[in-house]
Amino acid sequence: MKRRTFIKKALLATGGVITAPYIIPSGRLFATTNAPMAEHVVFVLFAGGVRQQESVLKRYLADSQKIDIEGNIMYNLLEGDAPPLKIAYGTTLPGGQKGGQPISKILSSSLQKQGTLFQELRYSKGGTGHYGGLSAGVSGHYGLTQGLRQRPLHPTIFEYARRFGGFKATDTWFVGNGISGSVPLLNHSNYDGFGSKYGGNFIAPNITFGAEKYIKGFKIYHPDDELDPIHKMQAFLNQSFQLQGGELVSLGNTEEEREKIKDFIRKTFDKLEKQQIAFPPVTDNGDNVTIGFATEVLKYFKPKITVVNIGAVDVCHGNFTSYLEALHRADHGVGHLWNVIQNQIPEMSGKTALIIMPEHGRNIAHNPITDENDWFAYDHSDSNSRRIFAQMVGPGIPSDLLVGSESNPVGDASDIVPTIADLLGFKADVMASGLIDPTARSLFDRI
Amino acid sequence: MKNIWPVFLAVLTLAGCKDKDYIYQVNEVNILPNNADKDKEKTNEQYINIVYANLYQKALSPDKLVDLSNVIQSIGDKQVAYEIIISKMMNDPLVKLPTVQEMNADPGKFITNTYKRFFVREPTQAEKTFFLNFIKSHPNLTPEHIYFAFATSSEYYYY
Repeated sequence: MKRRTFIKKALLATGGVITAPYIIPSGRLFATTNAPMAEHVVFVLFAGGVRQQESVLKRYLADSQKIDIEGNIMYNLLEGDAPPLKIAYGTTLPGGQKGGQPISKILSSSLQKQGTLFQELRYSKGGTGHYGGLSAGVSGHYGLTQGLRQRPLHPTIFEYARRFGGFKATDTWFVGNGISGSVPLLNHSNYDGFGSKYGGNFIAPNITFGAEKYIKGFKIYHPDDELDPIHKMQAFLNQSFQLQGGELVSLGNTEEEREKIKDFIRKTFDKLEKQQIAFPPVTDNGDNVTIGFATEVLKYFKPKITVVNIGAVDVCHGNFTSYLEALHRADHGVGHLWNVIQNQIPEMSGKTALIIMPEHGRNIAHNPITDENDWFAYDHSDSNSRRIFAQMVGPGIPSDLLVGSESNPVGDASDIVPTIADLLGFKADVMASGLIDPTARSLFDRI
Repeated sequence: MKNIWPVFLAVLTLAGCKDKDYIYQVNEVNILPNNADKDKEKTNEQYINIVYANLYQKALSPDKLVDLSNVIQSIGDKQVAYEIIISKMMNDPLVKLPTVQEMNADPGKFITNTYKRFFVREPTQAEKTFFLNFIKSHPNLTPEHIYFAFATSSEYYYY
């Protein structure tokens, strides 16, 4: 064989090996897609409807209460100085002004400096309701006919990840801030070909670990002497019944994974009792308790995809001061989360991408409700509630990059699903599915 | 008069040869297993109410029902949630369990009673045989293990 022919054939063979379809652990044959940038992705749904004015635009009271004081109350996420006056969002020192002590910054360098900030995205379709927003965030699809008490109409990122990425059930988690507002339904759709068997695990830790008297100290059966015969009896009992089609909707956790979830719950109760949960320094609201438990999920399972939903900011419907407090604490919680990932979970440090996006914004015009500071409250229904931002930080993500502006919106709420798929290496499958919003693109493709 | 006899005999003979239409009064029956008509999945509330009644032999209070339903909703994998709650209940001395001696004294009766208690039906002969052999071959097996398996089986999630 001539040297040139040999090289040509060798190159063709190598290319063929690289691009040839391969079989993922679940047995599905699929074509190779993009190279992953990260091994893990944490997506924070932040944090119950956030106005651009008090977050990315850092206008504090200037655009909401006609008080000319600007400043940044999210200094773990964003660059900028804190407001100089009328501090009402912090903690309260004994004998001090209510909320007058800002919470100390956790991160030495803001996420804005460490990563990429899309300053102005659009929630472009459908009403700006919480469940619609959360559903669009996890499915990349605006369910215009999406109702409450109904699973997302199109597949979620968990289902794409498990079907196309071959991840197991305990590789994917939705950590909810509670069980109201249909939040427990966001871990999978019922879409044909996807559905529960590709769903993510769900936990609402504030409820689970608040139910000490009902589950703390639950019995752990001996794996060989007790669990083995129990599983054999279950298998026999299930066998004939399942032939009739009767089976509990399953997330596809294996028996081993189920035992791991039980072990996680048992150990987390123990850690809670010993005060060893990695809660943020300030945990005076439910969101930061949720974030503390989310860090335990990350430590135990090291999931490939974790979605954390926090929502205390929604208090803005009736109390603007509490909204500022919740926004400041959400920033504190996310800073803590990133800090724990980098410093307490070696398996995820340097290999994890963090994405932050509110499920929707809030109105430009206030409602008639005032709080103890005579500040007006805000709902979410007008065009201003379609204005949101997104941040991402981690391996392969440009640092200190600002994309878009108030006058030049770049990106869409439906972009997060293809972005996560891009980070983990199955973007082509998601885009080819035809099931996300037709305009959705990976945020990397918008830079 | 003599001529009537042959005619009479011929009529009698022909009448005797006529086939009778027998109609057996048996209705058509589809043969299905005992559990085939359980096609509705229990809600979390139904499940927890019924399992509590089965284990404690008394009704669950409304506040406990709400709390336990919330716990189930807070855990995505329902099998995990149910198993945790039931194994916690098994720690409670108030749960009404037969003793190991009672089970071993008359395993056949124990199996029948367990099927009636949890599945509201008699076991089939095959089911009875399986459990008789299983109890015999697993000397460390207790009624708690068997109750746990029944309360977390697919058939129990349906009615």
